[in-house]
Amino acid sequence: MKKLLRAAAVAAVTALALAACGGGGTASDPSNVSPTGEIKPREISWLLSRPADGAVINIMKKLADDYAKDHPGFALNLITTPDRPSYIQKLETLAAANKLPELFDTDATPFAQELAKQGKMVDADKLLKSLDVYDDYRPGALDYQRFDDGSLYMIPFQFELEFIWYNKALFEKAGVSVPKSLDDIPAMCTALRNAGITPIAIDGQDQWPLERYVAYQPFREAGPDFVQKLKKGEASFTDEAGQKTVNWMADLGKAKCFQEGFSAQGYSDAQNQFTSGQAAMYNIGTWELPSLATDKLNPDVRDDIDFFTLPTTEGSATSANEFVSPSGIGMAVNSKTYDPLVSDFLKFALAKYPAEYAATGALSPTTNVQTAIPDNATPLYKKALETAATLGDKQAMPWDTQLDPTTNGRLQQELVLLVQGNISPEQFTKTMDDAIKQNAPKFFK
Amino acid sequence: MLPNRSRTSVLVFLLPPLLLYCAAVLFPILQSLFLSFFSWNGISEMEFVGLQNYVRMLTADDIFWRSFFNALLYLAICLVLQLGGALVVASLLTSLRRGRELIKTLYLLPAVISTVAIAFLFVRIYSIDPVGLLNQLLHWVGLGSLERAWLSDVNTVLAAVSAPEGWRFTGLYMLIIYAALIAVPKELEEAAVLDGASKWTLFTKIRFPYIRPVWITTTIMATTYGLRGFDIPYLMTNGGPGQSSELLTTYMYKTAFTSTDFGYASTISVFIVIKCLVAVGLILFMLKRKADS
Repeated sequence: MKKLLRAAAVAAVTALALAACGGGGTASDPSNVSPTGEIKPREISWLLSRPADGAVINIMKKLADDYAKDHPGFALNLITTPDRPSYIQKLETLAAANKLPELFDTDATPFAQELAKQGKMVDADKLLKSLDVYDDYRPGALDYQRFDDGSLYMIPFQFELEFIWYNKALFEKAGVSVPKSLDDIPAMCTALRNAGITPIAIDGQDQWPLERYVAYQPFREAGPDFVQKLKKGEASFTDEAGQKTVNWMADLGKAKCFQEGFSAQGYSDAQNQFTSGQAAMYNIGTWELPSLATDKLNPDVRDDIDFFTLPTTEGSATSANEFVSPSGIGMAVNSKTYDPLVSDFLKFALAKYPAEYAATGALSPTTNVQTAIPDNATPLYKKALETAATLGDKQAMPWDTQLDPTTNGRLQQELVLLVQGNISPEQFTKTMDDAIKQNAPKFFK
Repeated sequence: MLPNRSRTSVLVFLLPPLLLYCAAVLFPILQSLFLSFFSWNGISEMEFVGLQNYVRMLTADDIFWRSFFNALLYLAICLVLQLGGALVVASLLTSLRRGRELIKTLYLLPAVISTVAIAFLFVRIYSIDPVGLLNQLLHWVGLGSLERAWLSDVNTVLAAVSAPEGWRFTGLYMLIIYAALIAVPKELEEAAVLDGASKWTLFTKIRFPYIRPVWITTTIMATTYGLRGFDIPYLMTNGGPGQSSELLTTYMYKTAFTSTDFGYASTISVFIVIKCLVAVGLILFMLKRKADS
């Protein structure tokens, strides 16, 4: 039996090796965004990591069907793997085998940048400009997809804002108010705990929610550049901004901000704690508006729920209207298979997509459409959408899309230990700085 | 002995599966060995680094050693639960007069439930907020002070992820050992009882020696299952918190597919191969010694 596992493990690696040897394949010019020639309809595939019955997939299916009416023989094959770690594994394996489909999803990770460097993705900056839709996009939505050097290879299909949702009644019960500064949060947690309330509900199992918190203090203290320097080893956790976040995370842990045993609790566990009125705060994005700001929300808490945006700190380098505003995982276009058909379909789909998407009540990555507020929405829905109009220029990038994957994995593990009090801030600082020193050079040459 | 012609035909029939085995098992192992001397992220040029991966693994990687010892502890817990539990239950079963079939079936049930369902089930059982079964039971019997978030506590998480794997297959081994126990000749036991042997003596001097061959086979099975442990820890905690429940297998998987460090992951997989060979060697050695004595 152990042979089975062993064989499976090595077979996977071998498959990659063989495929890489066999593949070779020449990438065509990634900056040639308007290929000439005849449009020959065929089936194309989009490898994606989005909810199977979500708006993006439903709309793209419909648009593909519309396109196929005028182009018999065309079909869009949508292959989705919503679970992100499994998706990344699939993507990396296919990339290694040089077998990426026409369209594929990826964040602006170091791995994606490597693909871009090798000319495997079409320059999205040029592509969007040639399709004459570039100016429709929210600058923030495009910036989220950019690599550090400002180049753009992914097209956004969403635009989300992340808020800290809170329960007014529980705040009142514990005698606390909306925090003016990030530094107020540990004391708030203590007050909430003393009132028998779980301060913050968090999905610890998926790890990225806790990693959001470590990004907050440096974003306020040193601006969005900190993580870009940190990941290359040009800044470190011993810096002022680094120490501030390390100690703050430890303080959050000491004040018992998160529910007990959070590391083993999942996405819906956390949300249930908040929507059932057990937890006072919940940090999540506008993709949850349908469950938090409509009549689907538990009536017992419906009138008590509100949200605030990421608090600032004293002398903050970024302003209150600047926080995490991701445009979701982006879609990259494979340069090897890019031809007049793919180009023509994208032109068709990208022009029609925003209106369809906004009609579902979601924020479009473009500004040329008005989001429709669903009939069953609470007033919060409108308030959340309006916040998008007042966004500042800078945005806090989630660290999991920034750090190299090994350092990122280590950070996610060590953060849990730091918050649980299993390691001291000093140990955390040393472990993480060492991890960056060891792993960063391989990815950021 | 087979005549010559027939031996050739046997060889002809044996060859295809042997080739298949080589292609599916030996070749990947050799490939892995080859890759372990390279630094390669899947899309970059492969860079030959010699023994550097091995040096890093053995001297500079704290997670590697942590997960190695975790894997050993995981194996030990699984073996105790599976073999010890199975022996106890099977012995008790033999002294039961009624309901044996029902109990056998009940014990065997977990072995047929899907791993993912088991993982989710145990996440609920260990939960503290909302209170899960285990903490609730502790509370009821007055051991409230022991209540904890079993999967978040670095001291309990490894045992907590090992237990489901152990629990799962106890029934299977119980069935095998039970079959061996009822095959112990009754007249031997009766003779011993007449000579005044206690239950304990009966067990240690008659029953256990009699089932020893079956016991060794079960040990090999359980060890091999334990060594390949991956799914339940991966699903329940993903190795966390920190590296408290990281096994060599989960660490190798993450190194390959999260860190895209295929060279180093191959190095770890070579180590896993060696670890498995050593384990099999030890068991065979024990078998041989028993056979000699």
